[in-house]
Amino acid sequence: MGLRRLSPSTTLRAGSEHLARIALALVTLAVPLAVAVAWWGANRSPSAVTIHGRVSEAGGWLPGTLRAVVGSPLQLRLVSDDVVHGFAIGRSDAAPIDLPPGQVVETTLTFDQPGTYTFYCTRWCGPDHWRMRGVIEVSGSQPAAPEVVEPLYESLGIDIDAPHPASAVPQVRPSPERGEALGFEPPEGFRSRPDFIARPPAETWQSLRLDPSTRGLSESQVWDLVAYQWRSATTDAALQEGQALFAQNCAACHGESGGGDGVIALRTPEGVAEAVPAAGATHLAGEQPPSPADFTDPSTMLGASSALLQGKILRGGMGTGMPYWGPILTEAQLWALTDYLWTFQFGETS
Amino acid sequence: MTRFHRLLPYVALATLAVAGVSLVGLPSEEARSEGVARSVRVEASTFAFTPATIEVDPGDRVTIELASADVVHGLHIEGYDVNLTADPGQPTSATFTADRPGTYRIRCSVPCGPLHPFMSGRLRVGPPSTFWRAIALAFIAVAVGGTALWRKPTRPGARLGPS
Amino acid sequence: MAETHTPRSPFGSIMTRVDLTRLPFVRSMLVARGPQLAVQLAAVAGLLLVIAAGLLGTPVGSRNPATVLVWIAWWAALMIVAVPFFGRLWCGVCPLPLPGEWLQRGALLRPRGRGRGLGLPWPRRLRGLWVQNAAFVIVALFSLPVLTQPRLTALLLAGLVLVAIAISLVFERRSFCRYLCPVGGFIGLYAQAAPLEVRVRDPRVCADHTTKTCYTGSADGYGCPWLVFPATLTSNVSCGVCLECLRTCPLDNVAIRLRPMGADLRRSTPIRIDEAFKSLVLIGSALVYAFVLLGPSSALRAAAAAVGSQSWLAYAAGFLLVTVVLVPGLFLVATRLGPSVGSSHLSAKEGLQRFAPALVPLGLAAWAAFSLGFVLTNASYILPALSDPIGLGWDLLGTTSMPWAPVGGPLVSWALSAIVLVGLAWSSRQVRAVAEDLAGGVRMALPVWGFSFLVTAGLLWVFVA
Repeated sequence: MGLRRLSPSTTLRAGSEHLARIALALVTLAVPLAVAVAWWGANRSPSAVTIHGRVSEAGGWLPGTLRAVVGSPLQLRLVSDDVVHGFAIGRSDAAPIDLPPGQVVETTLTFDQPGTYTFYCTRWCGPDHWRMRGVIEVSGSQPAAPEVVEPLYESLGIDIDAPHPASAVPQVRPSPERGEALGFEPPEGFRSRPDFIARPPAETWQSLRLDPSTRGLSESQVWDLVAYQWRSATTDAALQEGQALFAQNCAACHGESGGGDGVIALRTPEGVAEAVPAAGATHLAGEQPPSPADFTDPSTMLGASSALLQGKILRGGMGTGMPYWGPILTEAQLWALTDYLWTFQFGETS
Repeated sequence: MTRFHRLLPYVALATLAVAGVSLVGLPSEEARSEGVARSVRVEASTFAFTPATIEVDPGDRVTIELASADVVHGLHIEGYDVNLTADPGQPTSATFTADRPGTYRIRCSVPCGPLHPFMSGRLRVGPPSTFWRAIALAFIAVAVGGTALWRKPTRPGARLGPS
Repeated sequence: MAETHTPRSPFGSIMTRVDLTRLPFVRSMLVARGPQLAVQLAAVAGLLLVIAAGLLGTPVGSRNPATVLVWIAWWAALMIVAVPFFGRLWCGVCPLPLPGEWLQRGALLRPRGRGRGLGLPWPRRLRGLWVQNAAFVIVALFSLPVLTQPRLTALLLAGLVLVAIAISLVFERRSFCRYLCPVGGFIGLYAQAAPLEVRVRDPRVCADHTTKTCYTGSADGYGCPWLVFPATLTSNVSCGVCLECLRTCPLDNVAIRLRPMGADLRRSTPIRIDEAFKSLVLIGSALVYAFVLLGPSSALRAAAAAVGSQSWLAYAAGFLLVTVVLVPGLFLVATRLGPSVGSSHLSAKEGLQRFAPALVPLGLAAWAAFSLGFVLTNASYILPALSDPIGLGWDLLGTTSMPWAPVGGPLVSWALSAIVLVGLAWSSRQVRAVAEDLAGGVRMALPVWGFSFLVTAGLLWVFVA
């Protein structure tokens, strides 16, 4: 009852053992070696910079500061480490890049002007989504044009932190269509766009009511005139852009219908599920920040001018959760956004 | 053992098999009348759908609005071709006709964190008939296993022998 | 029926075992160490890839090979194919104990006389399955973060390898596999249902053989690393299909056979209480896992994932209560509800020991159905993960951007139900057989059927309701 042996001689057995050990060494070394080579190759690439995107609470953009040279293409390899993020350069018209989790997306940026550019996340990724920003320092031979533009609210002397109660509120929601139908010629100082953005609607209403040319019009009709002033000071394209900007950037906190009840704002630090780190530490003394502004409340909105609103959006709120959008939105975008905010007060409700 | 006793397990098995097959094949409650139009707002958070169970009647025209509460979430209903993705502040919606009865899993289709594979809910179209049929089949399974499939050992004393 | 004679031809009567090792080609492939080593090296390569990917790759669980290959691909293959149809065959190629074993033996192939390690026997008091039961429960309690985060999966596997190496260098043979491995307890229990077995052909031949090389080892091979004596092997629970006994037996008395599924479930002697308890703990775990992971309560899932928090402690307490107290307690009651008829020959302990094996098909079906549902939903993650293993943006297979494509719907619901129902039918048959063996008949079987029905109803509710 012999057992069939496959390796009858001792030398052959020893040879098989050595062969087996070589195979094991190859297998054991092959994987780590391949990984090490790939790792080294990826990290040593002179031009491509790998940026990991994480929610702000977990570190945000890593690295958060980059350097580039004017005219020299900057190759970026972007990868999200947790949820869907997006990448865009502030105040630029390049299309944002979506980052599905775990997938590397490559892009190349070339800068014409030196300066400090902000890149930011474009897909909401938690309560501190707006903090997910980084900076690219672009150096060049020509000196950076000092882009210090005095914001309008400063030149008008508006204190954007002061409360702005409206001196009057309408009984009925003002309608620009009804205002237009009145066929009314606005008095001097109420015709142009600069007139519109500098003055709060409530003040406009008071002034219009006192003007002799509006004698005979009811209070709500004068409100309609105010609404019509807004509507004629802006364009359809601007309102559409403002709507898109609001949906992408503001609705999460301020609510889709502008009521200050957005989904992000409703999540108090205690209410946040344990899987998402609490946002608590981001506000003064760990206090629960005030709710986002309610754009549908006439008693506050109508006391604010567009310039004030633009200032708040530009600079952000001190001690509230309101982000500062200066590095992100262009002038045109900021004004389009403020134009859009008046749709929560005037015209048909959406 | 009479012929009757010998045949009994086979007869029982056949009867149970017929019962089982008819249970599976029984047509479920189809849409008898024109369904109503329903609207459901589903809030997706990490890692849950609220409400977790949506109940509609067969034939209903259902509009699902997906509202994300913290990060980008997706909503996929298996069995119906419904795929939504929503960012916080930007709800999206889809409308479909719930013409196929049954229970369908709702899953998150956009990776949203560690527990993403377990983020799920249910769409129940009509009563959960599959479940009750399966329960009935469970009775049958016990009956089949415990009687029809079990054989008396033919040799006495062989019961407690090694297998 | 006592199997004292096996026909020479592999294909005897259809009710006896089919001896695969009577086929010369099969036998030579199994005796030769090369093929087995090749598979083992592939498994080691897979383990290294998984650990490297888990530590270096993306933290996103659905895209990292560590989580995808281990908890979707390997786990599904294990629960749906390997264990039900091949028993403990995975243990023969599992990479976790191999580094330790190779160090311990000082060789990859045939024995070479050298080796390392102290070779101490495993402490007597730690033998049995209690340690493995505890290891399984502990791993299960911490499982949700491990399941979903690649780094933790990699650390768990690396940790197990290091522990296995340490154990191999201190204790004899495969003490890690036999007494510690949490997966092993699981696989061993359900391997009893499989149609594959390693047994001796004729125990009388073994009785006459004095040297017992199957246990002591020889120049051709090692003594059973699983510390099993092949001649008395009557179930698949502890045999790790390592094929050493096939190589060492000088009398060609070891066979690998096909047999009717579940043949191990009818034993002449009652199984040990630790094995019985394991069977109950595992069925309770299947219920809890299904309810937590697939059920309607996301708060429960969040609690299970938030290891270390207060909510997790509550979840852990609930888990332990159900698996260690409620399910075994309910089962105990069911076994006691049969006719006592004055003949209290069946003690509480013996009731558990006699009836617990009958739950094996149902438990296996529960885990297989659970795994099938999970793999059908998530199998589409496998190719993208392999295409970009360490998250550097590669596209090795061209599938890195492949979208998620779950397989679901009513057909899947019926498939899961069918698996559970088959398990229930089979378990019911086993329960009846045990009840008849104990002369209790249908009346004794009924309460245990009731228990099985309740477990099934719970599973069905989670899967299809």
